[in-house]
Amino acid sequence: MFDSPMQRAARATPPEIARRIRGLSDRTVAWIFVSPTILLLLAVNIFPLIWTINLSFTNFRANRPNRAIEYVGFENYQRILTDGDIWLTMQATAHFLFWTILLQVLIGFTLAWLINRKFKGNDLWTTIIVLPMMLSPAVVGNFWTFLYQPQIGFFNYIVSFFTGVDPASFQMIGDVPLAPWAIVIVDTWMWTPFVMLICLAGLRSIPGYIYEAAEIDRASRWRQFWTITLPMVLPFLMLAVLFRGIENFKMFDLVVQLTGGGPGSTTELTSINLKREAFEKWRTGYASAYAVILFVTIFGLASIYVKALNKVKER
Amino acid sequence: MSEVALRNVSKWFGRTLAVDNVTLSIPDGAFVVLLGPTGAGKTTVLRLISGLERSDAGDILIDGRSVAADTPARRNVAMVFQQYSLYPHLSVRDNLAFPLRSPILRTPEDEIARKIRHIAEVLHIEHKLDNRATELSGGEMQRVSIGRALVREPAIYLMDEPLSSLDAKLRAELRVELKRIQSDLGATVLYVTHDQIEAMTMATHVGVLDQGRLVQFGSPREIYEAPVSLYVAGRLGLPRINTLPAEIFAGAPKGARTIGLRPEHIETGAGRSTKVMRVEHLGDQTRLHLRLDGHDIVTLRNGGREPEPGETIEIHPRNPLYFDASGQRIA
Repeated sequence: MFDSPMQRAARATPPEIARRIRGLSDRTVAWIFVSPTILLLLAVNIFPLIWTINLSFTNFRANRPNRAIEYVGFENYQRILTDGDIWLTMQATAHFLFWTILLQVLIGFTLAWLINRKFKGNDLWTTIIVLPMMLSPAVVGNFWTFLYQPQIGFFNYIVSFFTGVDPASFQMIGDVPLAPWAIVIVDTWMWTPFVMLICLAGLRSIPGYIYEAAEIDRASRWRQFWTITLPMVLPFLMLAVLFRGIENFKMFDLVVQLTGGGPGSTTELTSINLKREAFEKWRTGYASAYAVILFVTIFGLASIYVKALNKVKER
Repeated sequence: MSEVALRNVSKWFGRTLAVDNVTLSIPDGAFVVLLGPTGAGKTTVLRLISGLERSDAGDILIDGRSVAADTPARRNVAMVFQQYSLYPHLSVRDNLAFPLRSPILRTPEDEIARKIRHIAEVLHIEHKLDNRATELSGGEMQRVSIGRALVREPAIYLMDEPLSSLDAKLRAELRVELKRIQSDLGATVLYVTHDQIEAMTMATHVGVLDQGRLVQFGSPREIYEAPVSLYVAGRLGLPRINTLPAEIFAGAPKGARTIGLRPEHIETGAGRSTKVMRVEHLGDQTRLHLRLDGHDIVTLRNGGREPEPGETIEIHPRNPLYFDASGQRIA
């Protein structure tokens, strides 16, 4: 009546299979359980990676699969690294990365710091602040196009309320100097809550008695912040930067919905540019080389960063 | 160093009265130990003096000046917490220097270095100065916490069971060391402990708390020899005071309900016969577990032949303590 799950499993196994399994070692059984995952991983992850590297040395075009494939050596790589347009998209990506991370860290940390105080309804406020993060990026991109409308847009009216400029006099999405900032604002709006949550976890991990000891040791609020709060939240903050950095390096959906890479190619981030090369111009070999370069860049930057993060954690 | 006084101080936590109308005067240079079981309000008294908690009624004075409205920083107190409250990302050296680097003190760096070296020697942590706080053992962490208080010269040192987490050898060593530092500096200390050896050996004054009330305040001898109640009598003394119905021995004063017998109140050789249940050898002392009319008595053998378990010996009280029905002492 009170069987253990193991006994029940043993009874449920057909005798035919049970007889065959009995002779296997633990290691073999472990491999049997792990192999489906490994096969899946090889099929959808590792194989495409190797295949992409292979394609990056060819002139293959996916819309002409029957054409003979020629190996062109490093020609694709050479063309990419000397292409001025690609450097422009890299610059656009760097601008987007730098400002989104900076703003999200500053605002996110401040919000976390404010919400970490004990006040009535801070759970409710946390939920409200976190809402943008729960929306689909496509939806966010879409409705911000309405907020940015020069005639009816809420955003333009708010700016006009504070600065007095005519709301119809500027287009966040349409003007070349403003468009890069339009995507920075939306991404910050959407993902600051994420940084806030991570900072909040960091702040909550600092035990209260450390602040009590500091107060007895006559450290001012300012000194407590710089010598206790910031160093102890720093590993969390760096983790948030890592997550946001990786995410925004491959930013696609939000920006495509919002600006489509325009006007011209001012907001054409690398992943949008890459998609264009691969699936609009169908230069598959060239795009593969492009993808490999991006992968190496992001992988290199991330490993350097993780090393620094571990050093901070050890401190 | 300063004189610290509490006047009719009360503190509520929600609907619990944690400190109940306590009036207490800690003379300059005194080593005051607060005794009481968990929940008696000992730690709350420390936190009220430090300013980490605000009192709901009454006044707190340091050197005659009311500090009830001051922040902890302005009260100039040092505190050792029961849990290791080190700054985990700082080295031992920086932990010790932390209070000295307060802008209020403006201590020059060579002075800081000199003080840290001295304190580290006293607490035997000089070889750990460059370690991070998290790389220390529990005992070392607590010594650093004590050191962080000792580097300062505050109005009063507040210590919340600072030695309770250390092993017996280190505890005995630091007990002597703390007492020596205190008398050398002429420091005023308020010390919370459960350990009666600490209370008896270090204190110039002992305060006994019961459910937030200060029930007796006096020298350790007074508390031990003339407790005002059964509760206070149970705080000090090892083996614990034996409490029996007063009528077990003849000669109880009128109104006495309970007789309190410390080992030195029990004389052998005449009186009522008791059975020896067990003999415990603790090295420096031998404890006898006796049984009299269904009551257990623990006492110490004071000279003479050592009785065997199962043997019968006669005992009678000498200058015992008598308590009435409410536990108050009457003789």
